[in-house]
Amino acid sequence: MVRRLLLWTELGWHSSTFDNQSRSLATKLQRMLGSVMMLICAATSVVHAQEPSVPHFESDIRPILREYCLDCHGATEKLEGGLDLRLVRFMQMGGDSGVAIAGNDPESSLLWQRVSKNEMPPGEAKVSPEKKEILRRWLVAGAPTLRAEPEQIGPGVPLTEEERSYWAYQPIRRPAITLRTDSRARTQLDSLIENAMPSELSFSPDASRLTLIRRVYIDLLGLLPTAEDVRFWSEHTEPNWYEQMVERVLQSPAYGERWARHWLDAAGYADSDGVTLADAERPWAWQYRDYVIRSLNDDKPLDRFIVEQLAGDELAGAPQGDWSANQIECLTATGFLRMAADGTGSGDNSPESRNRTIADTLQIVGSTLLGSSLNCAQCHDHRYDPISHRDYFAIRAIFEPGLDWQNWKTPNERLVSLYTAADRQQAASLEEEAQTIAQEKNVKQTEYMQKALEQELMKYEEPLRGELRTAYETPGDKRTDQQKMLLDKNPSVNISPGVLYQYLPDAAEDLKKYDARIAEVRTKKPIEKFLQVLAEPANHAVVTKLFHRGDFNQPMQEIKPGKLAVLVPEGESTTFADDDTSIPTTGRRLAFARWLTRSDQPNPLLVRSLVNRVWMHHFGKGIVATPGDFGRLGNTPSHPEVLQWLATELVDKQWSLKELHRMILTSTVYRQSSARHSVGDAADPDNLLYWRKPIQRLDAEVVRDAMLQTASELNRAMFGAPLALIEDDAGQVSIDPNQPRRSLYAKWRRTQPVALLQTFDAPVMGVNCDVRPASTVATQALMLMNGDFTIAQAQKLAQITRQVAAHSEIDPKWQGDLAVIQPPVPTWQYGTGNIHYENGTVESFQPLTHFTGSQWQTSPTLPDPQNGWVLLHAQGGHPGNKNYPTIRRWIAPTAGNVSIEGSLGHGSENGDGVEAIILHKGSIAGRWAVKHASAATPVGTLQIMAGDTIDFVVHCREHETSDSFTWNVEIKLTSPNGASENFASAAGFRGPAEDYSKLAGQLRAAWLQVYFRSPTADEMDLLIRFAQQQIRLLQDEPHRVPAGSTVSQQVLVNVCQTLLNSNEFLYVD
Amino acid sequence: MMDTPQPNSRRAWLAQAGMGVGALALQWMLTDAQAQAKPPVLKDKPYNDLMPRPTHFPATAKAMISLFQHGGPSHMDLTDPKPELTKRSGTDYPGDVHFSFVNQASKKLLGTPFKFFHRGQCGMELSELLPHTGEIADDICLIRSMHTGANGHEVSIRYFHGGIPGILGRPTLGSWMAYALGSETQDLPAYMVLTDPGGHPVDGVTNWSNGFMPAMFQGTVLRPKEPRIFNLQPPPNLAGTSQRQNLDLLQSINQRHLQSHPGEAELEARIASYELAARMQLAATDALDISKESAATLALYGIDQPETREYGTRCLLARRLVERGVRFVQLFHAGQPWDNHSALKPSLTSICKRTDKPVAGLVKDLKQRGLLDSTLVHWGGEIGRLPVTQQHGTPGQEGRDHNGQGFSIWLAGGGIRGGMAYGATDEFGHKAVENVVTPNDFQATIMHLFGLQWDKIFYPYNNQKQIITAQRAARVVREIVS
Repeated sequence: MVRRLLLWTELGWHSSTFDNQSRSLATKLQRMLGSVMMLICAATSVVHAQEPSVPHFESDIRPILREYCLDCHGATEKLEGGLDLRLVRFMQMGGDSGVAIAGNDPESSLLWQRVSKNEMPPGEAKVSPEKKEILRRWLVAGAPTLRAEPEQIGPGVPLTEEERSYWAYQPIRRPAITLRTDSRARTQLDSLIENAMPSELSFSPDASRLTLIRRVYIDLLGLLPTAEDVRFWSEHTEPNWYEQMVERVLQSPAYGERWARHWLDAAGYADSDGVTLADAERPWAWQYRDYVIRSLNDDKPLDRFIVEQLAGDELAGAPQGDWSANQIECLTATGFLRMAADGTGSGDNSPESRNRTIADTLQIVGSTLLGSSLNCAQCHDHRYDPISHRDYFAIRAIFEPGLDWQNWKTPNERLVSLYTAADRQQAASLEEEAQTIAQEKNVKQTEYMQKALEQELMKYEEPLRGELRTAYETPGDKRTDQQKMLLDKNPSVNISPGVLYQYLPDAAEDLKKYDARIAEVRTKKPIEKFLQVLAEPANHAVVTKLFHRGDFNQPMQEIKPGKLAVLVPEGESTTFADDDTSIPTTGRRLAFARWLTRSDQPNPLLVRSLVNRVWMHHFGKGIVATPGDFGRLGNTPSHPEVLQWLATELVDKQWSLKELHRMILTSTVYRQSSARHSVGDAADPDNLLYWRKPIQRLDAEVVRDAMLQTASELNRAMFGAPLALIEDDAGQVSIDPNQPRRSLYAKWRRTQPVALLQTFDAPVMGVNCDVRPASTVATQALMLMNGDFTIAQAQKLAQITRQVAAHSEIDPKWQGDLAVIQPPVPTWQYGTGNIHYENGTVESFQPLTHFTGSQWQTSPTLPDPQNGWVLLHAQGGHPGNKNYPTIRRWIAPTAGNVSIEGSLGHGSENGDGVEAIILHKGSIAGRWAVKHASAATPVGTLQIMAGDTIDFVVHCREHETSDSFTWNVEIKLTSPNGASENFASAAGFRGPAEDYSKLAGQLRAAWLQVYFRSPTADEMDLLIRFAQQQIRLLQDEPHRVPAGSTVSQQVLVNVCQTLLNSNEFLYVD
Repeated sequence: MMDTPQPNSRRAWLAQAGMGVGALALQWMLTDAQAQAKPPVLKDKPYNDLMPRPTHFPATAKAMISLFQHGGPSHMDLTDPKPELTKRSGTDYPGDVHFSFVNQASKKLLGTPFKFFHRGQCGMELSELLPHTGEIADDICLIRSMHTGANGHEVSIRYFHGGIPGILGRPTLGSWMAYALGSETQDLPAYMVLTDPGGHPVDGVTNWSNGFMPAMFQGTVLRPKEPRIFNLQPPPNLAGTSQRQNLDLLQSINQRHLQSHPGEAELEARIASYELAARMQLAATDALDISKESAATLALYGIDQPETREYGTRCLLARRLVERGVRFVQLFHAGQPWDNHSALKPSLTSICKRTDKPVAGLVKDLKQRGLLDSTLVHWGGEIGRLPVTQQHGTPGQEGRDHNGQGFSIWLAGGGIRGGMAYGATDEFGHKAVENVVTPNDFQATIMHLFGLQWDKIFYPYNNQKQIITAQRAARVVREIVS
């Protein structure tokens, strides 16, 4: 049965956003059957199916008139041409031009004449031929109505039964569930889902344990599990390990961070005001962000959560002394109503701008809490939904006492200080202390000034000295012209505090100490924090006027604060009290919030929109795919009863969001595998029926956070002011790399979106964000392949991996595959030894054996007890004591002629310098000495054989102190065949020959770090073959290995980056 | 992408539902629906790639460059001379006018302060503000009878891009072209957008939105300054072979992963996105490097002069992209420089100076390279301006308010008849009165030039055949097709 309902949804409601025909079909069914018990309908409808279909006014004609005609002929008090089209009998009465419909002859009906010839409606939009045809058939049928028309109707366009019975406005009712006992359904939810499947479909098997662990952690926390988490849950032996895991994860504080981000999208969170180019920062918006995190972690009941955000200030009341913790909480919550862009404090405080901010705020309220596009009714009645122009202003009247465009407050004027009386007192007493020091300083300064003056005056002879003293001591405005001239001529006497240091340097230093003390005292003052709130002033029951066509320049009648009329049963009041006299504020928002969250009769739009969003985040798509619009322009629910069930459960479970998560996560529909199979693909390739769990790409924040986490970089500190942004030369914005905290805490400026996050579909806030797209574009690939962030994380991950791998074992076969790759024969060697200077020979070459990562030494200790300071690095080195020179040895790969260029430098002013010698085959090819100087070290042509050595020796002179030297040499080797090759000492500098076998274990460890599973033999083979290939490449092209790194290290970094780019990492199964 | 229903799933649905208890009800619903309107029966799967696709009939255009002029260029001052308006300047307009800026509204007619000249062999009358456009008069078809019916910017912009006035969430013209025709190049995105250094145009990124289509049909933005595409190049130590090896490893790992998710389009698309990214590194670098263009070419676009350098560079880049097989290139201005509500004379002069030469240079360059025959060039905004004065109380500050009732755009190349003015506004330039062309007609005509029957190219969404003109009345303006 449910299956048919779905079908009906597909064909009827779902078929089109604009298609009135199929909708009327739907409403017909709905009318016959009542809103929820639609299933029984099929048989009934068969009966009707035999009847010829005649359009009726309420179901077929009125929607057309509403779309095209009623704005002028019914909605307003003044009717165009005196014609009212709201009821059939009004049409029969007609207007100034006569009756609109007559008999059953369309041709003689004025309505038909004007519409069919496109004379009406005026303007661009004309009635489509299909709709005209419906109109014509209705007229031919004698303009039938479904029921007797009301005797009286109030002003405006009345709501019809058809509009009231639209699914979204129906009260929440628990659906009847036929429980499945024949299947893998675990919960009522599962039965509802499975009942909607055709017989050949059923749930897929549960996903693997690892998949479930990863799925739940990412879904609830936006973070990966740790290796420890994975091990713990993988090895857990109790049958309810999964439920226990869900429970444990729900208690993590990271849960609030993850789900706060979802709510902040809907609320339109931004750390800046937008509107103007300045995009002024909102330094205190984060308090609201933190409020949301805390509320979700505390599992604050959602009804309370909503009331606080809509009317926290009214709940809080006036302060009795300091704000209480509860009051602060309530006030912080109203940050929700301050999320809309607001340029009134940053250059655009025009009436347009103020009204725009109000409209955006209402749009956020509408799309987030009411699942409705309220904003469409800003200028006229909503064309498709029963939300009137009047309704819009009734909602606006709820907010206007707090957002009064005629008595506007700029964002700064709305800040509330959190200073307590104690803070204020402490600050005052500290300021007093500071002032006392300032006075001490003044006294001291006067003394110093006097002293400086005396000292200066001593340079003058009397009587000039006395005249100068008198002139100086006379206050500026009392000085005679002569005195002024005197001081101008002798400016050095005119001492001021600012130039005191030129006269008495010590005195100036002394005075600075006072300043430092003052500053220190002042820093002890408690920091003044603020909240960004919407706080309605007391006694401010402003009058709201309806704006003709939404134009504030054309105010019309007064509108009382009220509800969406379609949600109020006929005959009940639609308004809220103008002013609740029991509290200082008007109480309008409080009444509205309480109306929305009544537990006995919760607002169906609110509850449905809440549970729909939760579903959307768990499954990637809402039951209504347009969470901000449940109206006719939005989508219809794919599983209406699931929506009903979740909604009733939420209210029954005291509005506990965590309880809702539990219900969803412990169900089979959530726990099943995401793998496709042919039966499912044939029956429902889009998985509209949930026969498998949809795969989801990591959200933007999770991409960044999970990479930081994998690289062991993530700083889990919670709360506080947003993380600074940095903008590179190209204008690409990123989060300060020194603050590797969760992306949620980044500064979300409207004009400065973080490139990585934006690329992965994080919203750039205009108003708010109902649904993030999940795009797949090449710019994302470029970001992950070439962006600094990913590369940095890959390097860090490689570092961690090397440590981890040092303690793990691996199949020797893989090591062997890498060990067989021979390191290249080194052309350079690094050593010390005995030189026979007379005959120019190296009597013994003793290689340096310890490599630090950037230089060669004889041991880890420097200076070495025996050899002293001897060391060599890429650019030069330092000789040891007289017996231990440095020797950089070049070994000729082939025979030929060699010429050498070089530059020797000794930088220090101290010591006695160094001497450098080039030795070849027992002769000295060159000899230079430098001290705090540099010298070129060219050598003409040497004939060499393959395997010959050329030694570049540096030794100290008398002393080895301060003997750091640089010596870059470049050897040009020309072979007999004329080919030449250059060998530069710096570029050719190498550490020890690598043992590549270790890399095998590291590759495996990296895989495990990123995927939480060991590679299969096939995958390991793939990694090894990659490593072999890349080792050879890096050996051949050493510039690819950054300074201080090795071939193995760079291969590992590249593998790490590749794993972070892969689908297994970027998607949740 | 997630919201994209695959039509054959619904077909499967219908097949299943044709059996059992529900069959009759279904039958009734279908019959009933058919009696009222065509039921949505979708047969074909939508394209989900960018391979070149066949056209319905031979195309005259293969690529399009759209030079969008945000704000509403003032046709009475640029492209549509109105002697009667000039004659009666200062007197009251006799008809009704709808104003956006009610406070500054006035019915006083405002004649143009600019002179018009006959240009080209065809003698097309154009304003002195467009001397260079005058030089291409014989190549362009000037449509003087555009009509959106709405004066607002966003309403009309969305009409031009998405097919319905004021409605967001629909694919833009470029998305439709990329979807319908695929791409001639697999090394560059099919649909590219060149934004202004001053920032985004009015309506921001929705100007190049893919709406309900997959993201691959979205406009790819080339940044207004270097680097035109972020992260295009790897750091030197990864460049070339090393990155290729990394990518090969990545794709091997991803292919193995895909084996456990056969047919998962999203995963396949990401694998493809890495290959496109790799090809783009080479192709985009080459396309964006204008250093080898001759001095004569640079001068043609005004790149040698400060005033025209920026727009000229983007026009030249547009040609280089089209040359390399990009299907649809669109240029945008920051904000809306043609929104001349005040100080009409200086502000209009200034934007013309910035754009006239580069625009004409582009058409001339395409022509001399033989590309104009297959490249459609579009110049125009979303609305025009009113013939009456927008008052500011100060002489010289007069401007013109919005006008969606009548305005001009022009097309050139790609099978358009050159040297032709089409349609007309009333004697004051207020309303289009002769051969009225709507944005839907414009869209249908463009599709026609590309060899497509516009109402046959659909994307299934919400179980409806969505077409570019959204089922609104449209016609191919055959009179302007050569």
